[in-house]
Amino acid sequence: MTAFTDTSTAPRSGGLVRAIWRRIGFAPALLIVLLIINIWLNPVRFAPGNWGILIGLAAPLIGAALASTPAILGGRGGIDVSVGPTMGFVNAIVVKVLITDLGLSSPFVIIVAALLIGLAVGAVNGFLAAYVRIQPIVATLGTYLILIGVTLTILPAPMGSVPDWLKTLNGPLSIVPLVVVFLIWWGVRQVPYYDQLMATGSDDRAAYTAGVPVPFVRFLSYVITGLFAGIAGLMLTALIGSADANIAPSYTLIAISAVALGGVSLAGGRGGLIGAAIGAVDIFLIQSALTLINVSTFVLQIAYGTILVIAISLTAIQDRLEARARKR
Amino acid sequence: MRVPRSLDSTGARVLGAILIAVLLHLAGTLLIPGYSSPFAIRAMLVLACLLAVACVGQTLAIIIGGIDLSIPFVIGFANVVAAQLYGDGMNFVVVCLIIAVLSLGIGAVNGAISAGLGIHPLIVTLGIGTVIQGSVLVWTKGFPSGSAPNAVTKFVSIGGSVGPIPVPWLIPSFIVLSALIILVLNRTPYGRRLFALGSNPRAAALALINPLRMWMITFALSAFFAAGAGVLLLGFTGSAYGDVGQPYLFQTIAAVVIGGTALVGGRGSFLGTVAGAVVLTEINTLLIGLGLQPSLVQAALGLVIILLVSLYGRERHVRATI
Repeated sequence: MTAFTDTSTAPRSGGLVRAIWRRIGFAPALLIVLLIINIWLNPVRFAPGNWGILIGLAAPLIGAALASTPAILGGRGGIDVSVGPTMGFVNAIVVKVLITDLGLSSPFVIIVAALLIGLAVGAVNGFLAAYVRIQPIVATLGTYLILIGVTLTILPAPMGSVPDWLKTLNGPLSIVPLVVVFLIWWGVRQVPYYDQLMATGSDDRAAYTAGVPVPFVRFLSYVITGLFAGIAGLMLTALIGSADANIAPSYTLIAISAVALGGVSLAGGRGGLIGAAIGAVDIFLIQSALTLINVSTFVLQIAYGTILVIAISLTAIQDRLEARARKR
Repeated sequence: MRVPRSLDSTGARVLGAILIAVLLHLAGTLLIPGYSSPFAIRAMLVLACLLAVACVGQTLAIIIGGIDLSIPFVIGFANVVAAQLYGDGMNFVVVCLIIAVLSLGIGAVNGAISAGLGIHPLIVTLGIGTVIQGSVLVWTKGFPSGSAPNAVTKFVSIGGSVGPIPVPWLIPSFIVLSALIILVLNRTPYGRRLFALGSNPRAAALALINPLRMWMITFALSAFFAAGAGVLLLGFTGSAYGDVGQPYLFQTIAAVVIGGTALVGGRGSFLGTVAGAVVLTEINTLLIGLGLQPSLVQAALGLVIILLVSLYGRERHVRATI
């Protein structure tokens, strides 16, 4: 559905800028402001030579936001709250079981394992949400609890270390997993599945009537979400360089905030991965700027919540103005 | 192809939840010695009541077609503010009034932003909740002090009694509160508007229901009851703790859904939520009683929630909604 509105408005004057503005909303403007503030506060940290480390620092949050998006795009309450715990589960299995217990540190084993875990969790979530038809937030809340419980059982205390190749994902090569995610999504956008997903998210009844296999489309959206969550788990593992069961679950809610900030409609059918990534970078930069000016973590929390609400309100207001302008 | 109406209805789901609570209790009695001892039952009743009070708002918010993630933060806020102000020597009635006004205000803001700007309440309540939590931390500098007044402690104490009946005053009060809520939902204009707005917002607008006002009232009530749960928890644990509400984030949603309320709005009942709260309390007690590690209890809880909801909480197929 969104695809149609986009093509119809693109040829207008300044169409591209307007299209980006409407697709992603207020987040890019916020991104530029925050970037300027951050560079002004600490030029060294944001110097090109440190970009690798900087991206590595932001990567798990961006990855979690990217992972959350496909399930949300599917609409009718589609959401995956198990993204954070999936990242934690990948982290625990990779570092504790594969590297420490079995002594496997080859990239082929570890990357394949992370992807398979992600796909498996995604398939379970998708099966529960699309075929068993449990309301998605409850279904993924179930897997959320299961994954946290199992992760804590495997890994009662933080431990372990990671091989050198994985550490480079926290330095010079930190952009690579993000590029991989975007390439996969680019591939998804080339096939009819993408349009089916957006159609399902906009109006599942109309899509079903038009012959879209709605349950299967939703199922696949969770599988893609799981796959991306597996990759995000690798990014997290690279960043913390060990196994820790307590870090990952908190990514879930921040990622969903990032997704909403990036103009992805939580009702489905609107938005994309670029918006989600920009929303995540916004949140990272807010946290970074507030840390740089040395406010306490308590104030950071207030500011973060306030900026989130204001930014999303501004996006909504701007949407309304756009809609009114279009009616005229 | 369609499920018979009687099986699909909310009433059947509520009955299902009650049945499962009873079955879980029987299983516990058979498996664990002392599971049905008076003290254990009283403890479970108190825990279920505390959870159910926190769930009042979630039920209302979900029936209207929203969700309230600020509940755990408001619980923590009320918990800490009550202890702090009472500890500073303020009259407890005044403390409660302040908390009531503030929480109603917080909830009204949640509802106003969600409905007024058409933003998903999940994000709004999460953002506002984060602000509340941060504010409380700044105010107390991270170290809340103070204590609960004796009256509140006695009100929720597991060992308390109402005349000859060996339950604390919380239990009969909660039964009265539940009856009132069920009455309001089924027999008042507010209740009818709530269900109308949840099942079809467009039709509700045509019936001259003001969505902004309804959302503000509903989320204000939600925050109010969350604050109530926070004050009661202060009495239960004895000292203030800002994160006391955190387990309630997902538990309230789970209880509401197990109780047969649909997350898409417009369907549900508070009786079901109470049954859902009892089910969750029974599962928790049973699993801990079986000697599982806390982490495994959590995993098993997730599994049980999925199993229960797949038994009787399933959504309709998209073809049945056309």
